[in-house]
Amino acid sequence: MGLVRKQAPEPEAPQVLDTDELVRRLDDPDPELRREAALELTGIPAAVPELLARVGLETEPRVRDAVLTTLAAHDSEAVAAGLAVHLASDEAGLRTAVAEALATMPGSVPALLPSLLAAPDHDVRVMTAMVLADLPHPEAKSWLVRMIAEDPHPNVVTAAIDALLPAASAEHRPVLEAAVLRFPDDPFLAFTVRAALPRLTGTA
Amino acid sequence: MAGATTSGSALSDADFARFTEYFYKRTGIHFSPGKRYFVDKRIDNCIRGSRYDTFASWFAALRMNDQAMLQELINQLTVNETYFLREDYQFDAMLGTVLPNVLAARGGVNRIVGPIKILSLPCSTGEEPYSIALRLLEEWEHIDHVDVEIHGADIDSDVLDKAAHASYGERSLQRVPKAWVNKYFTPVGAGRYQVDEGIRSAVTLHRMNVCDTAEMRRFREFDVIFCRNVLIYFDELSSRRAAENLYGALRPGGYLFLGHSESMSRISPIFTPARLPEGIVYQRPTGAK
Repeated sequence: MGLVRKQAPEPEAPQVLDTDELVRRLDDPDPELRREAALELTGIPAAVPELLARVGLETEPRVRDAVLTTLAAHDSEAVAAGLAVHLASDEAGLRTAVAEALATMPGSVPALLPSLLAAPDHDVRVMTAMVLADLPHPEAKSWLVRMIAEDPHPNVVTAAIDALLPAASAEHRPVLEAAVLRFPDDPFLAFTVRAALPRLTGTA
Repeated sequence: MAGATTSGSALSDADFARFTEYFYKRTGIHFSPGKRYFVDKRIDNCIRGSRYDTFASWFAALRMNDQAMLQELINQLTVNETYFLREDYQFDAMLGTVLPNVLAARGGVNRIVGPIKILSLPCSTGEEPYSIALRLLEEWEHIDHVDVEIHGADIDSDVLDKAAHASYGERSLQRVPKAWVNKYFTPVGAGRYQVDEGIRSAVTLHRMNVCDTAEMRRFREFDVIFCRNVLIYFDELSSRRAAENLYGALRPGGYLFLGHSESMSRISPIFTPARLPEGIVYQRPTGAK
């Protein structure tokens, strides 16, 4: 007993499965096999339609997250559009997971923004603000400012304010103060802005 | 703006962008323009050590899939400074809470089947896995009754060679009690001390990229993983992939330690955070097969 060196020889890397087998495993009853198959389909464009189809069907969150991680690596407009449809899902876990995946796709999400920002369902616009909160793109803050200034729904504007605040500076005071004036009957929005304003620093 | 390299090969902004894109795709490690000076210097070292005399010719050869060149580049561009017993409040957590929980989950001291497996990743020059070994040998009451496997892994083959040799200077050992140095190290001259053979031979070292799912499939059923201060080098997507791979390497119920400034909640929701007296640790859910 005590510290022991691994006795077995260095394990061989497990056999690499072909794409067809990996796609079949996306339906395996064992969620761990589904999760591993999803990860191993990384970088295989032919698997994208199957993976996209699984996003709305997969019931195990950890498997769904693996599917989303693999899909996000493609960072193409087709994949981003295929994921964005789930921002309108009634399932909170699914729409949040999809928003987190989209937030890692700075190459393709900008092309979707015109339609997302104009989505008739305001909940989709709220989720878009969540995407922009973490999207590593130089224009992310500008899009959030536009949402705050122009979106007609107070929940969307509040979500955009929440998303902007961690990176906000004194230059954003006017747009935040204007949002309070646009929605005078929304105490939560006003509270959020008034609590944040004293902490905003930088050039106005 | 062009970065000057001492080999005389000026790196343009476009070169830098192409290079960082290439390196990201191969390793998952992203260098922002703020790291320009650091990257320029190390590329220059690589060019000087190669048979190429310009960035263009060196980069062209690299992209022809020259594995030796890529490994040399990785060795240059990964930061490896560490020391014994760094952030040791997490070793306190391992001894005080995590290992008792692992033992209980696996049937207790007398009924556990197979060793407890601990992975240090990235292990750099070996200070972390050997620190774990020292803390276990000196402070864990069950070490004489339970087998423990310690593994170290890193993407950098040079540091793995140093970890295998396990010879350290005073700066690296400054937090190690003198009594432990006398007990577990042998002076090898020039103010350096080598970890004794018994401990060195008990730590298994591997070359491995945490973002590479195929490589990480070899790592399974770990009870505890230390993966500290590496995810901060990855962008969002690579961090997610690393998190998925770490999840796959843990037993259900296994524990993951991140660096003190890192948070899994910003990366992936698949782990369950557990607040211990010594800080946050992340757990693969026990209900997950």
